[in-house]
Amino acid sequence: MKHTMENKRIGVYICWCGTNIALMVDVEEVTRQMAKVPDVVIARDYKYMCSDPGQDLIIKDVKENNLNRVVVASCSPRMHELTFRKALKKAGLNPYYFEMANIREQNSWVHTDRHEATKKAEALVLAAINRVRHHEALDSRKVEIDPATLVIGGGITGISAALEIAGSGEKVYLIEQSEKLGGHAAGLDLTFPYMYSATQMLKPMLLKVTSDPNIKIFLNSHVDEIKGYIGNFEAQITSENGLETKIRFGNIIVATGLKTFDPSGIENYGYGKFPDVITSTEFEKMLQEGLIQKKNGTEPENIAIIHCVGSRNKKYHEYCSRICCSTALKFANQARSQLPKANIFELYADMRAFGKGCEELYTFTSRRNIKFLMFDQENELPNIMKAEKSDNCDMLIELNEKLSGKTVLVPADLIVLMVGLEARADVKHVAHSTGLSICGNEFYIEKHPKLDPVATTTNGVFIAGACQAPKDIPESVSQAKAAAARILSTIARGSVEVEATTSCVNEEICCSCQTCIRICPYSAISFLEDKRVSFVNEILCKGCGTCGSGCPTGAIKCKHFTDTQIFSEIEGLLHMSYSMEEIKEV
Amino acid sequence: MEYKPTILAFLCNWCSYTGADLAGTSRMKYAPNVRVIRVMCSGRVEPTFVLKAFREGADAVLICGCHPGDCHYHEGNYKCLRRYHLLKKYIQQLGIHPDRLRLEWVSASEGNIFARLIDEMTETVAKLGPCEVRKTMETIN
Repeated sequence: MKHTMENKRIGVYICWCGTNIALMVDVEEVTRQMAKVPDVVIARDYKYMCSDPGQDLIIKDVKENNLNRVVVASCSPRMHELTFRKALKKAGLNPYYFEMANIREQNSWVHTDRHEATKKAEALVLAAINRVRHHEALDSRKVEIDPATLVIGGGITGISAALEIAGSGEKVYLIEQSEKLGGHAAGLDLTFPYMYSATQMLKPMLLKVTSDPNIKIFLNSHVDEIKGYIGNFEAQITSENGLETKIRFGNIIVATGLKTFDPSGIENYGYGKFPDVITSTEFEKMLQEGLIQKKNGTEPENIAIIHCVGSRNKKYHEYCSRICCSTALKFANQARSQLPKANIFELYADMRAFGKGCEELYTFTSRRNIKFLMFDQENELPNIMKAEKSDNCDMLIELNEKLSGKTVLVPADLIVLMVGLEARADVKHVAHSTGLSICGNEFYIEKHPKLDPVATTTNGVFIAGACQAPKDIPESVSQAKAAAARILSTIARGSVEVEATTSCVNEEICCSCQTCIRICPYSAISFLEDKRVSFVNEILCKGCGTCGSGCPTGAIKCKHFTDTQIFSEIEGLLHMSYSMEEIKEV
Repeated sequence: MEYKPTILAFLCNWCSYTGADLAGTSRMKYAPNVRVIRVMCSGRVEPTFVLKAFREGADAVLICGCHPGDCHYHEGNYKCLRRYHLLKKYIQQLGIHPDRLRLEWVSASEGNIFARLIDEMTETVAKLGPCEVRKTMETIN
């Protein structure tokens, strides 16, 4: 039990986070209280612990006062644990001699009683102090990076990423579920706001991607299970005709995109009932073919474009699909150019023509004799009905026009539904095989919504494009290139440090029951027949700790989440006393 | 003095702890009675952690993990579920009311669900009153 013999010299730092914490927690009082705790050599409060001067404060204290344990109470460890671990390393301490107390996300931001929040902060910091006493030095492992990359999804995002990586001379495996590359972009005629041809944009990219010797393309293919960890993944690609290819790679970019919303469920719009109510995808195809016409082959005199179909309505999707407004404006322009005499109506909820050049497109469109009518998307969708002969049109759209407050009937012969974007049906399957998390809308979750938008919580797995949330082409391409750059930087370094928090077996007390072997989800534990004990392959172990909970004798130790560490945390949280009770650690 | 229960919560790092952080970033408000311990996976929550928590004076213990099928480690939450059912029976043998132990699935996007859960559980436990196990243990000792 060497770590209990060693003299503990703990430094405790309470962060104000400007006013974020200090407003709801009396940080000075917490600091005063923590200074009284045995083994605490230094307790300080500071405006921003994560800032350079904040980190320097720790480094200086460690050196001058011979600290051997550090506690920082500030934001969530998911935010800055790594930052402070690095600071410890700089100070010459093992980075695992650190513990963080979350007094912002799980305290000051969620409570309203300053006294209660301060008491809670004290308990949280005390628990961290208790815990850090039992921390052990761990060596972070370095793993080599296989320079190949797997890109899942052959849309414009996947292609852009593949080209970027292959352009640096690195190997890329690009897999696509369908029979051709290009994704949704291949189904587009012109692109907003500058009316560039999608085909002219995509063609050279496709030529490049198919002729690059560094890119191996698998069409009609999917990958079921990906094994391994950053730098060393392996998977089997299965093609439609049953061909199986085993590949090895170091990083993954998930660029699986989205699908369009099926409007059949919205009764008001009669999609599937009226032949000339079509989706934006179908209209796009019509434009690609160069002829706007009704099902019966005649030219429509009245065209209506309905926005927000399946978007921004709690019944379908609460979020905004982001690309439909500008696409609808593009449609109106293309229709106007082809049919100078037609009546064109834009039925919109709110015009969200954001982004470079899009508001200008809106202004330009409004000057081309296109009528804009506003409706209430949340409470009162327009209603499409069959017109009478005397109406001189095929259909009528009943609409409570929001700006005038009047109910109007809009004549229509062709109605385009601007369908929203939603997660693909196989999103969970891909999430499972790549270790991604999904949010409530079934989009993949990024590591940090602002500061780390293409990384994920699984090292070596990146997300790019619309699989993270609806995006237009420039945004998707930016993300693809960002993800590629992240991967190229790890390839250039050649190796990467991975978590040291794995499990290990105390052979002295392993009772050979093999429970751990049965419950390990990664087959990381095997049985050593000669010694009759379990053995953890720490390269395969991902540190979930379930083996430790299942072990009947306590032979398995989950590093950094040991029984002793968690027990001491529990004591700190509940007692508010400075219990030094010794729990025998085996 | 008004009785203020203490709930000790074990949250898995990937879903539930992130969900609780989201409640914070979204500035949702909930009762200050919860004390959180972060574990990598709900599968790491050993039955002894829960018993230890009651012994040290927790009025209730909450375990949160990823929704079934969404576990970052594939199936740790199922392992947790099995242990939970056993524990639930076991604590009753010790005279602990079953409502004092809960297992709930909270995803990384369910900050609101976490906040509601804490309020609701605080209310339930407040009605039950203090958990007497710690006192009993002290008497035995």
